[in-house]
Order: sequence, then C-alpha cells, then structure tokens
Amino acid sequence: MPAFDVQQFRQQFAFFQQQPDWVYLDNAATMHKPQAVIDAVTQFYQRHNSNVHRGAHQLSQQATMLFEQARTSVAAYVNAAHSDEIIFTSGATAALNQIAFGLMHTVLKPGDRILLTQLEHHANIVPWQLHCQRHGVIIDVVPLTPQHTVDLVAYQKLLALKPKVVSFSHISNVLGHIQPVAQMVAQAKAAGAITMIDGAQGAVYQQPDVQQLDCDFYVFSGHKLYGPTGIGVLYGKTQWLEQLTPVFAGGEMIDTVSFVNTTFNKLPFRLEAGTPNIAGAIGLSAAISWLQKYNTEQIQQHKSLLLKEFYSGLQAIKAIDILSMPVHNAGIVALNVAGEHPADVAELLNQQQVAVRSGQHCAMPLFSYLAQQGAVRCSFAAYNTLDDVNRCLLALEQAVEILTA
Amino acid sequence: MTLEQLLAETQPALLQIKQQDLADISAAKDWQSKYRVLMQLGKKLPPVPEKMKQPHLLVKGCESRAWLMHYHDKAQDKHFFVLDSEARIVKGLMAIMLCLVNGMTSAELAKFDLCHKFDQLNLKPYLSQSRGNGLTAMAERIKACCPAK
Repeated sequence: MPAFDVQQFRQQFAFFQQQPDWVYLDNAATMHKPQAVIDAVTQFYQRHNSNVHRGAHQLSQQATMLFEQARTSVAAYVNAAHSDEIIFTSGATAALNQIAFGLMHTVLKPGDRILLTQLEHHANIVPWQLHCQRHGVIIDVVPLTPQHTVDLVAYQKLLALKPKVVSFSHISNVLGHIQPVAQMVAQAKAAGAITMIDGAQGAVYQQPDVQQLDCDFYVFSGHKLYGPTGIGVLYGKTQWLEQLTPVFAGGEMIDTVSFVNTTFNKLPFRLEAGTPNIAGAIGLSAAISWLQKYNTEQIQQHKSLLLKEFYSGLQAIKAIDILSMPVHNAGIVALNVAGEHPADVAELLNQQQVAVRSGQHCAMPLFSYLAQQGAVRCSFAAYNTLDDVNRCLLALEQAVEILTA
Repeated sequence: MTLEQLLAETQPALLQIKQQDLADISAAKDWQSKYRVLMQLGKKLPPVPEKMKQPHLLVKGCESRAWLMHYHDKAQDKHFFVLDSEARIVKGLMAIMLCLVNGMTSAELAKFDLCHKFDQLNLKPYLSQSRGNGLTAMAERIKACCPAK
C-alpha cells in the first residue's frame, strides 16, 4: 500500500478550500465531511428521497434498501454478528440515553450498582444519574491514576461490588487517552456485568470489533466519523437490545398499546420510533466506505507524527501546562497556560483563526478531579498537517505573549 | 469589605479607563494591539473578595464565571456596578462597559446602547460570537437593575 498522502486526503474536504485561512483543531467536537459524504447525502435527496419501510411504491422500496444497506455497512464496520444489532439514533448521547433508560426495571433493580469512570463525558453520566436516582440504583466511580488514566487496580476492586452494568469511554474526549477497553471488558465480564463502551471518540480512531471485544453495547456518533450530524449508532447484542424499553415508545405502556406493539415489535425497528434520519444513515455509510479506502495504521502513524511535533513545540513555549499524555493518545491534547483562563487562550487563538475548544468539555467531574477550571483542547484529525501544528504553536506563543505581557 | 468600599476603590480605575484606555483601544490598528490594551484593563480594577462572589451574582451566558454587583444611590438615582471575572478578556470588556454606565440614572441606563458603543470603539469585529453573547447577557443584567417605572 502506498504511504498516506495527507494532501490527497485533505483535498477531498471542500471545507478547507472554502476556509483556507483556518487551522481546524476542534475535531473531537465534530469533523469535516469529505466530498463522498456530501455527495451521498445530496444524491439521496435528489434521486431517492422517500420514506422507509412504509411506502407501497418503488421509490420507498429503494430508499428502504439504501437505508438498510447503510445498516449493513455499519454492522460490517463494527463487526456486529447481525445487522439487526445496529440501531440508528440521533447520536451517541441519544444512544446512551436509550440504554440507561432502557435497562431500568428490565435489568436494573433497586439496590443494583453500576460502575462508571472519573473521566466520562456527561452523556455517560447524567442519563444514568437521572434514572438511577429514580430507581434506587447506585453509581460507583473508578478513580484515575496520576497519569489521568483509569486506575485498573481500583477498577478490579469496584468490580467486586458486582455492578450489573459497567460503562466507560473508549477514548477520553478531554485528554485523548486510549483506555484498555479489551481488558476492562474482560474483567467486567468475569465479574458478571453488562458492558457498555462510549465510542464517540473511539470509532474514528480505530475500527471497533465488537465481537472480539465482546462488549454488550458500543455507541458512537456519525459526525465524529466524517459523517453527517444527527446520526448515531447504538450497537447492542440481541439479547440485551431485547431487554431495552424503548425510550420513544412510551415505556411500560408499550404492552397495552397493541398498535405500537405490532409496529415496533421487532429489532431493530422496535428502538427506532418515527421516521429515521435516512440521509444521515446513508451519509454515515458513505463515510465508512470512504474511510476504509485508507489504511488505519498509516492514519494513526500520521496523527502520531502530528502529536510528536506538537508536543515538542509545546515544550519550547513557556508557561504551558499539558494535561494529556503523549503516549496512548488518540490525537487530543488538553492544555492550559499557567494562571490563565482557558477561555482567554481560546479567544486569542480564535483571533488567529485557530479553532480549538475551551472549557470543561462536558466532563466536569474530570475537571474537579484534575482541580482545573477547564482546559484548551486541541484535537487532531487525519486531514491536519504539520503546517497546522506549526501555525497552532505560533498562535499559542502569541497568545502567551499577550497574556503575560 | 463592603460594596461601598469596593465601589470607592473601583471608581478611579474606571475614570482612568474612560479618559485614557478607550482612546487607545479605539486607535489600535490590529487585534494584537487591541487585546494588549484589553488585557490590562481588568488588572486595573480591584479584585472582588472571594467572600463577596455569591452564586446569585453570577451572570449566565459567559464561558467563564463572572460576578456582577449593583448599588443604587436612591437619593440621587444613580446606579453603580462592580464586577469580577475569571477571564481577563471578559473582565476587560466589562471594565469598558462599567466605565460607560457607572453613575447613570435609571433613565440613562434604560437608553444605553452597548452595541453602538462597542461599534464606536471599533471593537465588535474583534469579538467572537460567544464573547458577544456574554456581553449582551451582561448588558441585559445591568439594565434589569433599573427599577420598573
């Protein structure tokens, strides 16, 4: 296979031709879309637009076929045993809400425990909290090591409390640290827990193999995988998907409404109430097909090179505190300028057309653990170049100079 | 420290900002120069003691936390404000706002057009949307301090 050509890769993103002056390092928030995705969505609306699963006409049947092909392509991407194990949602947050809501009563009973980690995104905390409080389910939290990775010794100890569900992220959205998910799933399984992986940042870094991981749930968003916004995936093993109470069908009322029962009684449709995001699913499928033309290892090597350059450049700027580790990092660097508010740093980068995010990144418990008021987050994607790295470093230098003048 | 004491310490700084720094900001030709002046403004205001930063004084709509305190001299119908923020840029922008509004009567405050003022200072192109939203939130909070007629 030829070497990864970042310019060839980048050229497929019209955004960078439209906005040549911007350095975009906010990829953990959302990624840009290659032409293949934009074309797939446009073509669906131009040529095939119809509702799915319900029309008597051929157009609807075609739309249904494209939509179901998208499901098959997502199933292949995560190596699901069956495409019925892929539920389309509006995003990872919706998928997490469906799981947290769906397991209450059916699986989680008062007095049961669930286990989360200190570095979770709010979407993997608050849905659990909301339902756990109401149903008397107890939440335990795995602390972090001094390197800000999940403390696996503490994890093993907390598993001894026999949590029914263990839910953790594949990659920290703030720090970029890659969690040892295979090991964590295996240990949780050994303790008899249902396992849930938040792959919002993980699915783009590495093609997840859910059968090899043997996790019970894996969720991610399309827009962080070069796909459209408003589409996400809830993968679940059939046995557990069947246990989920649909969040949009009225919960326990489902047994008494025979119409609902007959309409949504089969997977995956039981968990996809209403007209799905058809164009979104097709766009996501296009993103996956497109991405698979590239070698994941080569992309990872390219991102590692960017990180290495970024880290070495950061060492030369005074007063920079780096919260992320350079190793086992998927391409996210959280940092602060000592004594300065991250919002000020981000604004000074914004003035120089460097797009980053600042704040607590929907992970307040992590920041209270780190005892930081927030951080500036620079997140890299495969289309970023060494020039982007250098421009960001120069912009940071300028920001530090203005702040500390 | 009381609010009155804090106000008394803040007023000379605001006066200096009004008489000197506003002109510097307006005259600054590039974003670096504007932000350099802006960064210094917050430093000129005396810090609000931690004890006085009560949760009900927090202004929503800012990315960083900002606290706003209000004092109404009813005898003369004059409004005074004190603020603090975790972020320098917010504090600098608020200092500009306060040097313009402190001492206004209820009627003057109700008429005050912050956007117009920032236009005059040639600042608006240099403020991001979120910063602008935070400013609007602060301006609304300040106007809400006017007693209803």
